[in-house]
Amino acid sequence: MKNKSFRPWLLLSPSLTAVFLLLVVPVCFVVVYSFWLRAPSGADIPAFQFGNYAKFFADFFYPGILLKTIRVALETVFFCLIMGYIPAYFFYKTESKFKPFLMILVMLPFWISFIIRTLSWINILGDSGMINHFFLQMGLIKEPFAMLYNEGAVIMGLLQYLLPFMILNIYVSLDGIDNSLTEAAKGLGCTEWQAFREVTLPLSLPGVSAGCLLVFVLTCGTYLPPMILGGPGDELIANLIFKRVIGTLDWPFGSAISTILMGLLAVIVYTYNKYMGISQIFNALSKE
Amino acid sequence: MTKDLEKRLDNVYESYKEGRISRRDFVKFIGISGAALGLTGGPFGLVNKAFASKSITCHSWGGSTSEALRKFAFDPFTKATGIEVVDAAFAGMDAFLTQVKASYPPGGEFNIAHLSAVYDYARYKALGFNVVLDESKIPNLKNVMKKMIDTLKGITDGNLSAVPFDLGQTGIAYNTDQISKAKAEELGASLLYEKSLKGKLGSWGGDFRTNMWYAALHTGQNPNNIKDVDAVWAVLKEQRELIKKYWASGSELMSLLANGDIYATVAWSGRVAGLQKQGHPIGYLAPDGTYSWMEYMYVLKGTDLNIAQKLLNFMLEPEAAIAVAKGQSYPPSLDPTKVDIPEEVQKLPAFDPTGKLNGYQFADPDYWNSHQLEWAEKWDRIRAGK
Amino acid sequence: MKKIISGWSLIKIYTLLVYIWMFAPIVVVVVLAFNPQQFGTFPMEGFSFKWFVKLAHNSTILDAFKNSMVLGSLTAIFSTAIGVPAAMAFIRYDFKGKDFLNTLLIAPIMVPEVVLGVALLLFIRWLQQPKSFALLLIGHVVLTLPYVLLIVQARLVGIKKEYEEAALSLGASPFQTFREITFPLLAPAVFAGMLFAFTISFDDVTATLFWATAHNQTVPVQIFSMLRNSISPEINALGAVMIVLTISIPLFAGYISRKFAKGVDK
Repeated sequence: MKNKSFRPWLLLSPSLTAVFLLLVVPVCFVVVYSFWLRAPSGADIPAFQFGNYAKFFADFFYPGILLKTIRVALETVFFCLIMGYIPAYFFYKTESKFKPFLMILVMLPFWISFIIRTLSWINILGDSGMINHFFLQMGLIKEPFAMLYNEGAVIMGLLQYLLPFMILNIYVSLDGIDNSLTEAAKGLGCTEWQAFREVTLPLSLPGVSAGCLLVFVLTCGTYLPPMILGGPGDELIANLIFKRVIGTLDWPFGSAISTILMGLLAVIVYTYNKYMGISQIFNALSKE
Repeated sequence: MTKDLEKRLDNVYESYKEGRISRRDFVKFIGISGAALGLTGGPFGLVNKAFASKSITCHSWGGSTSEALRKFAFDPFTKATGIEVVDAAFAGMDAFLTQVKASYPPGGEFNIAHLSAVYDYARYKALGFNVVLDESKIPNLKNVMKKMIDTLKGITDGNLSAVPFDLGQTGIAYNTDQISKAKAEELGASLLYEKSLKGKLGSWGGDFRTNMWYAALHTGQNPNNIKDVDAVWAVLKEQRELIKKYWASGSELMSLLANGDIYATVAWSGRVAGLQKQGHPIGYLAPDGTYSWMEYMYVLKGTDLNIAQKLLNFMLEPEAAIAVAKGQSYPPSLDPTKVDIPEEVQKLPAFDPTGKLNGYQFADPDYWNSHQLEWAEKWDRIRAGK
Repeated sequence: MKKIISGWSLIKIYTLLVYIWMFAPIVVVVVLAFNPQQFGTFPMEGFSFKWFVKLAHNSTILDAFKNSMVLGSLTAIFSTAIGVPAAMAFIRYDFKGKDFLNTLLIAPIMVPEVVLGVALLLFIRWLQQPKSFALLLIGHVVLTLPYVLLIVQARLVGIKKEYEEAALSLGASPFQTFREITFPLLAPAVFAGMLFAFTISFDDVTATLFWATAHNQTVPVQIFSMLRNSISPEINALGAVMIVLTISIPLFAGYISRKFAKGVDK
């Protein structure tokens, strides 16, 4: 018994050590920095004051960007789910001999740098891009149709980046479902659709929720699609952090924004893990 | 050669003994050492340092710039001295300063950097990253335009911590198919605020200075001493409604212009030259008070100055400097009255045949750095439409 | 019965459309690799291999590519090597603070990379240690660990504990049980985790920007610095080469194995 309670810690120790040293400690530095001051030269002055936080909440500008980020992240999650579930289900059901190959294809976009992929949308959606070129040639439109540099284009870029995460998360979870369960359901007179709704869908929820969480969190930390595909008002919180930390070398304020964002995300992830988390669902299943 | 190496090893050993040993040892004794050393190659730190002293790192802009430097400066240097030059690309001025600020030990990772703009020279100095170069060890400095050297010396108390390397402007690029040359020249800086170009204008989003500079020119003010800042913000607010895209990189600037997504924008002269070379219908306009800047090879504190000075001299060899100029389309810092400059380079925008740079307006580092934080934040708000 | 078939074909069509959408920018990249014009868009003004030739001579990009491959592979190996045991601990054992630790290990994706990048540098500076490849590698392992964990955990949930318990009760050691029972069932997720870890590491810009030394710059970092002047179509060419390799190797392997299998059958 003693041996058993010690075992999970043994299994966890390498991960915990790495994450502790390379994440927890550095993040503590960030939190400490958020109370510091910035000298005009860009050097940091140790201090303990809440000026950076006060600045963030002084008017609606910064909180507004944070709220906008959350909204864009939720929209991205929604579209990812719509676009991702069916392909994942297809992989699960298909008996094609090309299945592994099709799976690898999902990861293929990653082979081309994120920056290049994002820039590539300009060649498709831009004023002289593929789509406009096609419609102009066909004579369907007279003026190029403006599709770039708005929030839609940003979400498009985000989807392009995040969809594989969603598909693979859902697929892995679907693939773990015991086939005999759906067979049993059908044996009891369920139609294919009912079997899906009553058995497959609920059992795939761990993957769905993991995918949603992942997409949400990653959207909050991404700055390239808004930078490249967005218009002037489409910047998200990560762009702001990037500009403060790197652009103006204002580490204390950048740290304060980061701390606020990390705090928010930590609450979300913790709540998720507690109420609808992987372990919770597993507990429910294992009791049966 | 062996003697040189010995001397260098001695230097390394001394610097190792001198300072900074305390916390390192503290770390070791406390037992984090195992992990910390494991992840940073600790026990080999000394070996790394000795090894590193046989090489010098030069951060530059990558691509054709690095190619030219490697071929005409680094390889000959390595051949002559046996010292390896590690050439690396950085991601941008600001990101590089962030890296330097966070690096340890000083001079260990970053030695020479191809930096832009005089106000950044002042920032590195303010953060204490400057050195004092021995100009007598860099004979090729005699060919460099005097005004460029004096500008830098004015910031670092009569000394140099960098050698001027090339010259550029942020002027105005316009699509000659859409905007006639006559019209562009008549409007000057005001072309960027022309209402009839709504939805076809661009600007550099990442830099408040460039935007404020041209807004100052547009409102008839001296960019280095803006009296009516509110007027500048008001103009930029109006301009925002006309802008299609605030670009974030030279690459984006070029593709926006080349694809006809925008017809006029502020633009880096070298990028415009690049577009013209490829035959795109892009004109370059340098109105009175055009924003000029220089690039220089900065030597960072902690670097072995003897090696650095020798390398800088190789980089200032006319052959090397001109090759780099061709590669990145910015004219070199060499004085055309002292060095023969090929015609191809003479045609580059921002080239000055007199070598005196009269009429070139650089950003006043004190003025812009003292307002940096306030204006950068204000600019963010204007851009976001708040 | 007919209805089911049509439902299935709808799914197929939908999947196909998603694929087309996902690959549109990739196709553009590959096509433009053959465009002689640097800023060419459509229609293309000719067809040339010049960017491929230039790529073959560009030692900087090729070195960066090598660094990316080495870093990505090592990251994939280490990340799964420490991630799988951690996932086992979370799914197979009950202990105090489980939710908290699970959240903690997923935390690396919650911290914006700009912040993590600079924060780690601050820590290293405080320790007064220079940067190194080992730091970059461990940094990437931490970055990719959450993906491995999420994927492996989701799969582990579906593997019945009873199999393992049966093996244990038959006298197998815990390690034997893992090797003989759990791992084979887990293998697809482990493989997916490795693939994920590799690709995330391979494509990472922001953190790598801060952690890489001059000696181990990766392809995305090189591209990021190219943004200032212009991104050379050589990068498109590199992308095209990689895509052809990724598509052709599995196909070729499949072809060989089928041919081989046929030979044996006869």
